[in-house]
Amino acid sequence: MANETVIEAPVTRKARKGFLPFHTNTFDRYFVSVLIFVALSLFWLRFIEAFLPIWIVPILSILIGIVIVRKG
Amino acid sequence: MSRTKSRNILGWIGTYALWISMTLITLLPIYWLFVVSARTRVELFGRPTLLQTSFYIDNYLKPLSTPAFQRYLTNSLIVATSNALLVAVLAVLATYALSRWKLGGSDSIFFWLITNRMAPAAAFILPLYLLFTRAFRLGDVTLYDTRIGLILLYCLFNLPFAIWLMKGMMDGIPIELDEAAFVDGASTWTVLTRIIVPLAGPGIAVTVILSWVFAWNEYLFAASLTSVQARTITTGLAEFVTVTGTNWGEMAAVSFISLLPALIFLAFVQRYIVMGLTFGAVKE
Amino acid sequence: MRSNRMGWGLLAPTLIILGIMGLLPFFYVLVVGFFDWNVVSATGKPIWTGANNFRRLVFDPNFLGAMSRTLLFTVTVVVSELVLGFVLAQALVKEFPGKSFFRTIHALPLMVAPIAVGATWRLMTVPGFGIAPYYLDRWFGIDYNIGRYAEHAFATTILMDVWHWTPFVTLTMLAGLSALPKEPMEQALVDGANRWQVLRHLTLPMMMPVIITTTFIRLMDALRVVDEVYLLTGGGPGDSTRFIGIHIWRVVMTWTDYGYGSAVSLLVYYFTLVLCWLLFIALTQIGRQQE
Repeated sequence: MANETVIEAPVTRKARKGFLPFHTNTFDRYFVSVLIFVALSLFWLRFIEAFLPIWIVPILSILIGIVIVRKG
Repeated sequence: MSRTKSRNILGWIGTYALWISMTLITLLPIYWLFVVSARTRVELFGRPTLLQTSFYIDNYLKPLSTPAFQRYLTNSLIVATSNALLVAVLAVLATYALSRWKLGGSDSIFFWLITNRMAPAAAFILPLYLLFTRAFRLGDVTLYDTRIGLILLYCLFNLPFAIWLMKGMMDGIPIELDEAAFVDGASTWTVLTRIIVPLAGPGIAVTVILSWVFAWNEYLFAASLTSVQARTITTGLAEFVTVTGTNWGEMAAVSFISLLPALIFLAFVQRYIVMGLTFGAVKE
Repeated sequence: MRSNRMGWGLLAPTLIILGIMGLLPFFYVLVVGFFDWNVVSATGKPIWTGANNFRRLVFDPNFLGAMSRTLLFTVTVVVSELVLGFVLAQALVKEFPGKSFFRTIHALPLMVAPIAVGATWRLMTVPGFGIAPYYLDRWFGIDYNIGRYAEHAFATTILMDVWHWTPFVTLTMLAGLSALPKEPMEQALVDGANRWQVLRHLTLPMMMPVIITTTFIRLMDALRVVDEVYLLTGGGPGDSTRFIGIHIWRVVMTWTDYGYGSAVSLLVYYFTLVLCWLLFIALTQIGRQQE
């Protein structure tokens, strides 16, 4: 009774620990890269596009993505 | 000793005071809805009181006797029932597959399911509206304003919920049972209908009831993807505010009809409602 | 006998239906989001505009207003519901006669259609015969009118959401509290800790999985609130309760601005995706720790 598990996901996942604050698998790391790309693009459109062109964002995102996929 | 005893009594009084007032707060709006639905126009704009002795049944009879409203009610019943049954069948098949086979990428499937369950309906109305009116067509017939469209569409949020909810139950059925049946030469279909469904019966029942309630309660998709023929009762209720103006008594009566299923099913499923709303992640 | 083909075959109908109803619309908005498309415009045809919709989006005061309003609403309701629900769950965890009755009634709002919740609260607050304006005026002399004052309307949507969803938090917390082991708390009380310390250092850390799960689910639900607010206030007065869902409705259905509507839908979808993913990570992470 006492140590019943209250929270339960129907799946357990194989994942590894990188510099991101939780265990991630390959899908997660690509997913985080895409999320960062979108967030960065919107931020760029709002605040930075007046000074620097937008095509910097994909390049920057790919670099960040490579780091995350390999080390995250 | 007497100090702890009096503290105990104070604790009891506090608990009951808290819960009686919580119950009153919960019931007050619904009670007021009922009171308004029982009043004539004249009574309504008199001094507001919470007591009600008479019952103005016309508020119920008038909507119930209009063809449009009867259609809304039948549509809601048909859509919710068909959807709940469809979801139950598909969810049994899907959870059986996810539970008994090691399918590659099944954790991504569970993630995808949860995004469908929690995605804001508002973000889907534009693409679905365009797809329903333009893309999904056979000659002149489109999915727009059809009951079948709604039945299929409600799988979007009910099916993920049902699969998450039933996966744990399915894992709880010992795999030795189906192995033994397979050794005896049973087909997958026999195993499903003779072993899995009877053993998972209570879980399936809960899933059906909760899916039914979610489908009955849905508003946004029904409002954007139907116009006349397939309107459901929730959209009919919204029309009382926007289209026909302010016939408050009838609006209250329709609201009351639309929340009757909730009142009826509450006693059956209240133990499972938490599991339902957290799609089985929080167990009780 | 146990071929993978059989497994995928059983899963196929589910994947097909969800693919058509869930994945296809997503890719559809993803494409339309890069087009300028309004059926009542001069051409009425989609025209490629690149990232212009998103450029417009991040500077649009209507959208940013709706977004910040939704965030304010979300944070307020989620925090109040968590605190209230935790307190109520504490008061419901011990056994007492009538407990299951109170519990059942408490769960009632969870089953009611959101649209009916909106109708119910509208009838409570409508100026003229609603009981809320009448008694607030009579007892406190407050001129309460959700059709006229923006703050009143906004506060009422918050109250309504708290009424509607606090039971959910109470019941999840109750499930969590009931499953906690009793011994560590009793031991700590014997050792001279006060109730606050027990709560702070024992109960709350042990409840963390439940609290995190509940918070994420409530966050997502609050972000997508439409039905009850739409029926209660219709988004008004002015734009004071025009949350993001209602804003999308206006852009898509009223203005038929499909390209721009896609961009807004995508961004809302993006936020939910992030939250969903965090919830999923949290859930599976908890599973790992318990093993």
